Amino acid sequence: MTSRLVIDDLTVAFDSGGYVIKPLDGLSFEAEDGEMVVLLGPSGCGKTTLLSCLAGLLSPTAGRVLYGATDVTALHGAALSDYRRHTVGVVFQAFNLIPSLSARGNVVVPLRLSGVGRSQAKARADELLELVGLGERMHHRPAQLSGGQQQRVAIARALVHDPPLIVADEPTAHLDHIQVEGVLRLLRQLASPGRIIVVSTHDDRVSQLADRVIELAPHFADADRQPEEVRLEAGEVLFRQGEKGELIYFVESGSLEVYRELADGGVEALAVIDAGNYVGELGPILNMPRSASVRALADTVLTGYTVRAFRQMNPHALQVAPR
Amino acid sequence: MLAVTFADLRFRARQFAIAIIGVGLVLSMALLLTGLAAGFRAEVADTVDGVGAHTWVLSKTAQGRITAFAAFSDLQALAIQNESSADHAAPLLVAPFQVAHGDNKTLTVNLVGVAIGRLGDPQVTSGHRLSGPDDVVVNATLKLANGSIVAIGGKTFHVVGQVTHRTLVGGGPLMYMPLLSAQEVVTSGQPLITAVVTSGTPARIPGGLVALSPNQVINDTVGQLSTAISSIESTRWLMWTVAAAIVASLLYVAALERRRDFAVLKALGSSSRALFLSLVMEAVVVTLMATVLAELVVNLLVPFFSQPVDITFTAYATLPAIAVVVGVLASVSALRRVTGADPAAAFG
Repeated sequence: MTSRLVIDDLTVAFDSGGYVIKPLDGLSFEAEDGEMVVLLGPSGCGKTTLLSCLAGLLSPTAGRVLYGATDVTALHGAALSDYRRHTVGVVFQAFNLIPSLSARGNVVVPLRLSGVGRSQAKARADELLELVGLGERMHHRPAQLSGGQQQRVAIARALVHDPPLIVADEPTAHLDHIQVEGVLRLLRQLASPGRIIVVSTHDDRVSQLADRVIELAPHFADADRQPEEVRLEAGEVLFRQGEKGELIYFVESGSLEVYRELADGGVEALAVIDAGNYVGELGPILNMPRSASVRALADTVLTGYTVRAFRQMNPHALQVAPR
Repeated sequence: MLAVTFADLRFRARQFAIAIIGVGLVLSMALLLTGLAAGFRAEVADTVDGVGAHTWVLSKTAQGRITAFAAFSDLQALAIQNESSADHAAPLLVAPFQVAHGDNKTLTVNLVGVAIGRLGDPQVTSGHRLSGPDDVVVNATLKLANGSIVAIGGKTFHVVGQVTHRTLVGGGPLMYMPLLSAQEVVTSGQPLITAVVTSGTPARIPGGLVALSPNQVINDTVGQLSTAISSIESTRWLMWTVAAAIVASLLYVAALERRRDFAVLKALGSSSRALFLSLVMEAVVVTLMATVLAELVVNLLVPFFSQPVDITFTAYATLPAIAVVVGVLASVSALRRVTGADPAAAFG
């Protein structure tokens, strides 16, 4: 069976300490059968959130995840359990092996949970551990294995049902370069017709192996364009919390209010930015979404600079409140 | 999940071993208390049933207790004997008394004056039965060997025989002697007795006396200890609670440590129910192993108790069942940790 993976306008929002956080906001992309897709971006950009949605472990606020003809986001109950068990295999960050079980025991667990007989499950586990090069160490517990070996056990565990979709969360995060090579080689080999591999990483070197790279946090720091003037009327919003933007704004005249949008629909005023100051610098510099909203308190004139232009103009300025 | 359960038990063997020892000791205390509470009744039953009487005639003021020392004239025994339906009737005098033995050693005993060769005259397990006015037969827990000499009320007696399981009021040993000798030391020779035992049913009971079955005597005599027994039983419940608390603490801590494991197992397809049952299984295994330890400890401790500890087969057999209940209840402490585990947290 060959299937496409379609992420359609996916949004995940949740309440974090009273604030609305949107790790994913209208994300869309597609992946073809046999592809290795790399989700690239720094911590907090929504990689793990997206993988959780792909694995059927998290319901998005809006949008859809389609795998072949299956709308993953519409699955519930037994159908969702069946999807989790048979369609998707998960390689967790930090391996997440059960410490009390041997390598073989860890691979056997999902098989037994899906009703496979003991001897059949052991045979399948042995076969997979041989495949990932751990045939000699199948009786060792995780603590007796290196990071790379543990990650290979995790990959073997993800493969138990020969799932057509494998998601791997930062599979190289805790490994040295020799172990990284072995794990990436294995994942690359697994991306073959009949299977899609989705790997999240903050290491852009991994993208060299990818058929498709999805950057969840576009680089604004390198953007280069002329400063632009922005005119706002009183009450008009400059940018909203959670949006991604590449400009830092210098207030030429007028004033701005920085505020946070709360989960209960209210707002929390944070600061007032008067003429001569600037606002919204950290988001573009760090490739992060805006952490607060900004609106004009009076008719205001601003100049928007790219990160590069802003640094040239004001090389020591990095101390202003919200991005 | 069974494999995961037993793997976790092995993985946390030290934690579980500590819990098994702790719970085992608490359960052994609970089992001992069960035995002590039952022992109060068992000793009275052994002593009363050992007489072999069909009916006990006591003073009404004794309220059914053979230990009440409510005395009446021994002529009443004769009156009852004369009743044709009371095949055999024999007088008894039961009274607590201080007995001097050795150098400055005083023992408290329940002195029983009996008519030699009649109902109440005890069969001995060693030595010989009462035959002369200076003979006494003692319960073995007194540790007075045959041939020993004891001073009772200024008179000297010889231990001629031993009996077992003849105690009253929490292990107070019985000391049998001829009735006339007992009257001499207890009532200064007055012909008083505290009971008449018969092997038939007396047709008529003299005024001021009451005829009771052995069971009534046992119940009434044990009744005087009801407060003590009730306290012991309350303490026993406390022990069960402590055992449950130990297992619950262990499971709760284990569940906290295994939050990530639960999330991973759920992400791999396990249900909350299966995970909870796995914890229940661990709790039950711990408590059952603690039960075995408790029963071993109790068997070692019982011989050191002077009072009767009556641990019946039922008590031994019930303990594992109670342990299972304790284990299941203790597992509830970790229930929220299991059901609350978010499979998406496996990614974190």
